[in-house]
Amino acid sequence: MTDISRRSFTKKSVLLSCLAALAPATPAMAMFDKVQKDAFLARDDLADALKSMYMTYDATYPYDHKFNESLVKDQLRNLEFSITKGINDKQIDHYIMTNEPILKRIKELVEKEGSEKALVELFDDDPCSYQLFENITVAEGKRSFPCPYKSNLEHCKKWLKTFTIEWSDVCNKWCIPIWKRSADIIGIEIEVKTGETCSVCLKNSEENKS
Amino acid sequence: MDPSLENKTDNNAQAADTKVMDRRNFGKKILAAGFISSAVLLGQTKQAEAWMDGTFSQRKDLADAIRSLKKTYSDIDPYPHKFNDALVKNRLRDIDFIAGLGLDKENVEHYVYTLGYLINKYLKDGVEMGGKDIALWGMFERTSCSYQLYEHITIKEFERSFPCPFKPMLENLKKDPGTLKIQWKDVCNKWCIPVWNGFAVRAGVKLKVKTGETCTVNVI
Repeated sequence: MTDISRRSFTKKSVLLSCLAALAPATPAMAMFDKVQKDAFLARDDLADALKSMYMTYDATYPYDHKFNESLVKDQLRNLEFSITKGINDKQIDHYIMTNEPILKRIKELVEKEGSEKALVELFDDDPCSYQLFENITVAEGKRSFPCPYKSNLEHCKKWLKTFTIEWSDVCNKWCIPIWKRSADIIGIEIEVKTGETCSVCLKNSEENKS
Repeated sequence: MDPSLENKTDNNAQAADTKVMDRRNFGKKILAAGFISSAVLLGQTKQAEAWMDGTFSQRKDLADAIRSLKKTYSDIDPYPHKFNDALVKNRLRDIDFIAGLGLDKENVEHYVYTLGYLINKYLKDGVEMGGKDIALWGMFERTSCSYQLYEHITIKEFERSFPCPFKPMLENLKKDPGTLKIQWKDVCNKWCIPVWNGFAVRAGVKLKVKTGETCTVNVI
C-alpha cells in the first residue's frame, strides 16, 4: 500500500471534483425533466381515452370488441356501399387524391433516407395504420399485421346480416390497390401477401428474399 | 338495396305535445319506466347483459390496445392525436367522397340500413316498453360506433351531448394535406343529422338536434 500524503490526497480530490463538475451531465440531467418533457404524460385528455378503451374491452358478446372496432366496421360499410353502387374505383381514386400531398412528402423522405422510410411512414408512424392494425410486426423491408377485416366482416355478416361483400373484396378492392398506388406515388415497389396475417414487403429487400 | 328501406329523415323534427304533469303522476311514470326498462333489457337480450360485463381483466389482448393508446397520445405533431383520429378521418374522407358524387342521401340510407339492424331488432321494443331515453342509450353510450367516436358523452335523461369530433379534425385536414372539399356544415347536414334521424325513425322516436362544437341530441 502506498502512503499518500494529506496534501497529495487533497490535490487529487479537488482535481477530481472539478473534472466531475465539468463533465457532460446530459444523461444525469435528462432524468430530472423526463416527466415534463414526455408528451404522453403532458396530456390532460387521457381519461377519456382510457374510458373508451375500458368500455370497448369490457364488451365480449357476441364477440370480443377491440379498439379498432368502429374504424374497421366503418371502412367495411363504406366499401360495401361503393361496391354496391359500382363506384369502388372512384373511391380508391379519391383516397389516393386526398393523400397525395402526404405521399409526395414520403417520396422526398425516401429519396433522402431510403425505401425503409416508406414503411415507417405508411405503417409504424401513421395513426391510420397503428389505430387500425392491432399490432404491426416490424422487420427490415417488411411490415406484417393481423388482418382486421376478416373477423369483423364475419361478425357483421353473422350478427347484422346486412353485409354482402366478401373478404376477398376487401383485399382486392381496397387494401391491395390502396397500398400499391401509394407505393407508386412514393416511388417504391412492394409485394403484398394477404391472409389472416398480411404482409407488405419492399421488393428485393433482404427480408423478402429469405 | 332492400326495397323496404324508407327514407324518412326529418331534419325539422316537430316538438312533441307537452302536457302538464303533476308530481305524483310523474313519479309513477318514472318508476314504471325504470322498472320496465330494466326488465326489458335484462330479459330481452343477452347483448344488453354482456356489455360491460366485467370481463375486462380477463382479456389477453389489452397490451395491443395500451400500446396503440400510448403511441397515439404521445403524438402531438402537428396536433395532439386522439384515439378516434383514424375513425374521424375515415368518416370525413367518406363524406367528402360521397358528397362529391351527390350520393349523400343514399349513403345515409345504406348506413342506417346496414347498422340499423340491431335497432330494428332490439331497440324499438325497448323504447315502446321502457321509454324514449332507451333510444338515446342505444344510439350513444351503448354502441362502440359512438363511444369510440366521441371523446365523451354527457348523459342526461332524454338528452346526450358530446364534443364534435369532426370540426377540429376537418380544420387540421384542410391545413394539411388540404385536399378535402367539404365544409363543417356538410358533416352536420349530410351525415350526422340524417343518420341520427334515420336511427330515430327505426326506434320510433323523434329527435331535436343542436349541432355545434358541442352537439346535443334530445329525444322528444
